[in-house]
Amino acid sequence: MKRGFGFYASIYRKILIQDLKSKMSYRADFIISTFGMIMTNLSGFLTFMILFHNFPSINGWDYDHMLFLYGFSLIALTPVQCFFDNNWNLRFMVRSGDFIKYCFRPINVFFYFISEVFDVKGIGQFIFGLSTFVYAWCRIGIPVTFVTIAEAVLFLITASLFMIAIMNASAATCFWIINSGYVMVIMFRFKDFAKYPASIFNAVFKFIFTFVIPIAFVAYYPSLIFVTPDNVPLLTWLSPLIGAAFFYLSYKFWMLGVRRYDFTGS
Amino acid sequence: MTNIRKLTALTRAGIIEALQFRLGTIVTLLGNLIYLALVYYLWKAIYASSGMDVVNGMTFYDTMIYLVLATAMFNLLEVFVIWDMSRSIQSGEIIMHLLKPMRYRLYTFWSYSGSHVISFFLTFLPTFVLVFIITKGAIPLGMNLVYFVLSLILALMINYNVEMLVAPICLYTESTWGVNIVKETIVLLLSGATIPLSFFPEGIRKVVEYLPFRAIYDIPLSILLGKAGKSSIGSVGGCLCIQIFWIVLLSIFGNLFWNRAVKKITVNGG
Repeated sequence: MKRGFGFYASIYRKILIQDLKSKMSYRADFIISTFGMIMTNLSGFLTFMILFHNFPSINGWDYDHMLFLYGFSLIALTPVQCFFDNNWNLRFMVRSGDFIKYCFRPINVFFYFISEVFDVKGIGQFIFGLSTFVYAWCRIGIPVTFVTIAEAVLFLITASLFMIAIMNASAATCFWIINSGYVMVIMFRFKDFAKYPASIFNAVFKFIFTFVIPIAFVAYYPSLIFVTPDNVPLLTWLSPLIGAAFFYLSYKFWMLGVRRYDFTGS
Repeated sequence: MTNIRKLTALTRAGIIEALQFRLGTIVTLLGNLIYLALVYYLWKAIYASSGMDVVNGMTFYDTMIYLVLATAMFNLLEVFVIWDMSRSIQSGEIIMHLLKPMRYRLYTFWSYSGSHVISFFLTFLPTFVLVFIITKGAIPLGMNLVYFVLSLILALMINYNVEMLVAPICLYTESTWGVNIVKETIVLLLSGATIPLSFFPEGIRKVVEYLPFRAIYDIPLSILLGKAGKSSIGSVGGCLCIQIFWIVLLSIFGNLFWNRAVKKITVNGG
């Protein structure tokens, strides 16, 4: 039976409201977590400022362009934080056996599992990223037209798909390896390098960070459309397709894990 | 000395437990290698753009060694006291720990010691050797290695004490992720683990000098690179004394806080 988009949207809304209600009952936790999120963003920004305090440019990228890349990466990393945060709980659920409850519902397992948690903290990051992005956009003097804005939205969504795919796939490893949290921790740490231009790598690592662990797509390739509008590489134009492919593959991998979990029946 | 035997038994148990997760060690090591590559290319580009060989007394290799070993140290020092404590409070298991004929702080420290030993030999040492080779022997070999290991052990104790000082906050707030992320961000930034302290602007660096965090990453790494004794950092002996000072101070406050907080524990059922 095929369910439409409207059906899933209404379910998502219901689950979201329940989740927010339960979060609000732990007020202190909510405030501290939000504060923590702001702290991480502030610390990242401070690191950035200290770096530029010592070095005026990196590989031909000056302060404004690096700031643009930085803002871009923060926005692109928001959806994975907000909507896909439940992946961090997957390994506990699978290990304890609680995961089985998701398999008994007549809706998509992946959808149901992911929709259960909406992480409000990500909104702080979004605001922080958006202000940096807009500030850098003005400083560079990118024209504000319908086309550029549409491109920005499209490529930001595209970029976010890559990090979602990385985290989906690394979370799903727990179906095969018990306690595979370290895979997620390592992958999550790589995202700190999304804000630097991938042109600094040599050919081998450029390949790895483009096609194996695609962090170069989180900010570098998509933002080239604004940074060097006269010389946009083919990979940039293809990035929406590649992003969709990566997301689809990670989803398939995740579902493969679910099927395996059914078989062991633990 | 039955007491020491009791403690090393915990270390042994920890070693055996850590060896169970061999795959984890391999993946962490592999992750460190890729991370190493990221740091290498980033700083190579930075130094190439600046056109200078030495920035703030740090050469490219110095910076590279500093940051990669800081990452390896991060894996080595990592303890999950905050998570453990809040989880055992939620499940009620904390009562079992409190009933043990050993103080909770001591027990936790020694049960982690085994995983530290394993992590030192299986991830820290290989990373160290690799950095040594890549930077073509830029790490001076001599007495500084002995002091470094000593300083590393002290750093481990400071890190543990910071963790123990922060963990009881969970008893009051029921927030684990939040408390942990705040602690981690502050420690990593102000200890020099994200960016070497010598790059910090003068004003901020002055403030950071008086905080305990630099004793976790910056002091051991400065000793290793032979920077201690020169410039403003002070002699090696002085650095070790600063570390010991922080261990004493933090454990006094940690103890006071823990003793107060433990009376607060409420376990529902269990």
